[in-house]
Amino acid sequence: MSTAPASTESLRLGFLTALHLENRGYVAGLLVTNKYGRPLEFQCTAPVRPNRTQELLYGPTLVPFLLGELLSKTLLDRIGIKPHFVLTDLTEILDSRPHVALPVACVLKGTTTDAVRIGKLNFGLHAEFNEDSKAFERLAKELAADADLLEPLDRVREALDETMKAAA
Amino acid sequence: MASGEWRIEDDNKRVAPASPVTVGDAVASEPQVTTHNSSLALVAQMFPAGHNGALRRWPSVETQAVSLFDKRAGLIPSWKPHWTKVPTVGLTFPLGFEFQPKADKVAEKDGLNKISGPKVAESDLAELTDRSVHKSMTRLKPPSDAISLADRLFYLLQPPLQTMLAGQELIMPFEPFPYQFEGIGWLFQQKSALLADEMGLGKTMQTITAIRLLLRAGQIRRVLLVCPKPLIPNWQREFKAWAEELPLTVLEGDGTRRRMLWQMPVPVLLVNYELLVRDWADMLDDEKPKFDLVVLDEAQRIKNRDSCTSETARSVSRKRSWALTGTPIENRPEEMHTLFEYMTVIPKGGTPDLRQMQRLSRDYVLRRTKDLVMKDLPPRIDREEYLELTSAQKSAYLDAEQNGIVHLNELGDQISVQHVFELVLRLKQITNFDPLTGDSVKFERLAADMEEIAASGGKAILFSQWTKTIDWLKERLPAECGSLVYHGGVPHKQREPILRQFKDDPNSHLLLMSYGTGAVGLNLQFAGYVFLYDRWWNPAVEDQAINRAHRIGVKNAVIVTKFICKDTIEERIDRVLHEKRELFRAVLGDGTNSNASLSLTASEIFGLFDLKARHGKGTKKIAPKPAESSVDAA
Repeated sequence: MSTAPASTESLRLGFLTALHLENRGYVAGLLVTNKYGRPLEFQCTAPVRPNRTQELLYGPTLVPFLLGELLSKTLLDRIGIKPHFVLTDLTEILDSRPHVALPVACVLKGTTTDAVRIGKLNFGLHAEFNEDSKAFERLAKELAADADLLEPLDRVREALDETMKAAA
Repeated sequence: MASGEWRIEDDNKRVAPASPVTVGDAVASEPQVTTHNSSLALVAQMFPAGHNGALRRWPSVETQAVSLFDKRAGLIPSWKPHWTKVPTVGLTFPLGFEFQPKADKVAEKDGLNKISGPKVAESDLAELTDRSVHKSMTRLKPPSDAISLADRLFYLLQPPLQTMLAGQELIMPFEPFPYQFEGIGWLFQQKSALLADEMGLGKTMQTITAIRLLLRAGQIRRVLLVCPKPLIPNWQREFKAWAEELPLTVLEGDGTRRRMLWQMPVPVLLVNYELLVRDWADMLDDEKPKFDLVVLDEAQRIKNRDSCTSETARSVSRKRSWALTGTPIENRPEEMHTLFEYMTVIPKGGTPDLRQMQRLSRDYVLRRTKDLVMKDLPPRIDREEYLELTSAQKSAYLDAEQNGIVHLNELGDQISVQHVFELVLRLKQITNFDPLTGDSVKFERLAADMEEIAASGGKAILFSQWTKTIDWLKERLPAECGSLVYHGGVPHKQREPILRQFKDDPNSHLLLMSYGTGAVGLNLQFAGYVFLYDRWWNPAVEDQAINRAHRIGVKNAVIVTKFICKDTIEERIDRVLHEKRELFRAVLGDGTNSNASLSLTASEIFGLFDLKARHGKGTKKIAPKPAESSVDAA
């Protein structure tokens, strides 16, 4: 389980998302912010492109493995300022939950019975880690009711675009 | 037995069916083999082949039985999942200046509205996750000179300004207007900036908020803010309103105290131009502090490149250079050269031409005008009050004009702009009031208007070029006007109380101000009437004066009355100024409106009079040699 923040002042959120680049594979980025969205640290991966054998043998499990396990775990291991929570907009990244010691939630369109409301949006959790809902309910109380938690993910995507342009 | 079935012959051989098998028949794929048991305990032997005659020791060969599933058998698949280590790149953000108020202190602040968004209904959630419906946010963009990836990512990863400011850590008295968000975002990313918004649009507030955000983001640590002395209280008030948690230090006191304050690592140091020049001259080079950001308010103060003020301001060591002014050009476009040099966007002594200045303006100047951005602001109603001089005034005026022209004609080729200016000033003074009789058509009109304004409880500001005129008006206006005087002759200590009285005393209906002291930086948006008793040399300063009243916070329309005496120099000056607005709009771009700064060139000034010199038996038109500088009246 994640370590709860020592105080609400030091609460840190991780925003994790990925892009698929034509002919270059997948690249993921993680932005850690304070509770007001001010950036603390950003990490992104180099593009990872599976070869043909991997595509064939992983089949439909390839993308969840790449995003959920390989890239997400790499970023969460490498980041210096560890977040207390991870938020994403890609359901594949929820698959990182069994491999990391942090609560992970994915934004949902609409709502379900299991959804957790954080800010303006509803989030879903990994099916095997429903106990994360308590942690996210605590987080929801710390954030403004109108907090837009999709916006930092837009920033991550823009930063990934910029990084890939610089590397091209 | 069906034709498709296998059959067993007598020797246990299985024979394929005669007819073809169907596709996908697993049985059909069984190979045709004869089975018999065979031992896998193989023995290896070495046989002499003749080529091994040189061997001294016979090699030993052994065999070992292994399981078919052993790796050494080489029969299991050799592929297994393998992913190379994924490289990453990272960026850590500098620690910002931490001065958030504690939660309980925040709760004590009554009357402050935190900026918060609306509550979202469940039915709207699906829409909200669609990014195209997101409310328009002001995102910071990397400046054009941010080349390194780290620099660019720094800006891209900042939250939108609205989010930054809506957080509990940054309380604002009220939500900025959209154009102000844009201005704050623009300043945040500019190393060099000239914020030239029209007066009254909130340059102060945008600057303070941008400073606040830069401190928070760790981009700056020390700021020097330079302003005219009368505006120090204004900046103190604005900082208290817009950045209450930010410690602001005013440079004042005796020399010893000021020397200490210069060296203290305070986040924001506020100093007036005069003290900056004086103290900088006294400091040794290694004593001079360095700043991350220097902001010059009313930056037209440094327009004269060779002045001490200008040289001192340019010599302060800084990483970012911002300038604020509603009148970047007062007389000539060339005045912007000094501003561009201060902003370090042109080399020392550089003199960009008009096209280059347009380019520089596009990159480093941000100017918005009220009519473009404040569509909700109550209107400013300008009316030009054309007045006929009284007989005494007319007589004095004609007399002065004739004698003046004669004198100018007599000067012949020695005539200069200065001579003509002196005549113009004299004639303008007569339009204010006749020096002999005290007659004044403007005064009569003013008194009549003030009677109505005072009766309705309204408040008015009057501007004049001359303190003498102001004092003259003060003596003659009826007591019911409750006139107060605010000009250069009023001691500094008395000025704030006068402004407070004008605002709070219901019996004070008129504030008489000079353009010099009253035009800059004061907030008088409770005055609904503005009188321009006489005209300034360029409308920018007039507009700056009018914008003391017509600015953000004004609740009702502001009526501006400009007195113009018919058939006098005032009419002619006004006409020429109207014709000259286009040049400044061309330099500063479309953000300017009809309130552009202007001046009169020497030829235009001479054109106000039909000047001729005797030439033989006739006359010839005379004009001055090219003038080197314009003259600031009053």
